[in-house]
Amino acid sequence: MPDTAIQIKDLFQELKTEWKVKSRYMSNTAQIATVWEYQQIIGMGRPALPLILKELEQETDHWFWALEAISGDDPVPPDHVGDVEKMAKTWIEWGKQKGII
Amino acid sequence: MDARSFPRLTKDNHRITSPRDVGDNCIAWAAEVTDRWWEPGKFWPVVVSRHENGIGALEEAFKSLGYVECPDGVHEIGFVKVAIYGSALEYTHAARQSPNGEWTSKLGKMNDIAHDTPDDVAGGIYGEVVEFMKRPAKSTSAH
Repeated sequence: MPDTAIQIKDLFQELKTEWKVKSRYMSNTAQIATVWEYQQIIGMGRPALPLILKELEQETDHWFWALEAISGDDPVPPDHVGDVEKMAKTWIEWGKQKGII
Repeated sequence: MDARSFPRLTKDNHRITSPRDVGDNCIAWAAEVTDRWWEPGKFWPVVVSRHENGIGALEEAFKSLGYVECPDGVHEIGFVKVAIYGSALEYTHAARQSPNGEWTSKLGKMNDIAHDTPDDVAGGIYGEVVEFMKRPAKSTSAH
């Protein structure tokens, strides 16, 4: 596993790119979340949180499973569940409140 | 569309009908919802665990919307049909029949397409059609 912040960022970018290609036609969230590269990102643990949240700011995508798995939190209120844009905004705000981004 | 994911799609049997949209998925689209991503245990029409990703979970979802199992995807006037796709025991996709008899699919996080038959999007990433379901079409006439 990488040691430095730069190595972690590079690895994240590599895994993210591959995951986006592999998951683009998937609709089953469990399948999306069990793509090997996504599992690798979850395995990076808390150092991946700012990278995921920054990525979420750039482009909305299904990072919620990973965010929940790594943080053990779920800040999305019930009326926003399923609304991908609102879920993304909620998580980004959560990251700011926690000082992660 | 890459041939590995969709080996049966040809330029003559489908057309893209929407831009890319990560906000809804094929299940929502088949259920005629365009502003939510449907996911068991999160946003789903029946109460299930988020770990229920089997074909049965999708079947129960469509049953809750008034669909019943039917033998095939042959066009029937007055009915809406959906095709459920699976790979192993997991659901992978759902397509809906349009009133004109052609089929419409939301391809994951990507585009909506119209396609001639349910089989056109099978054989690759979605596996095969495992079940057809139908419900009476909603009346569009004023009462």
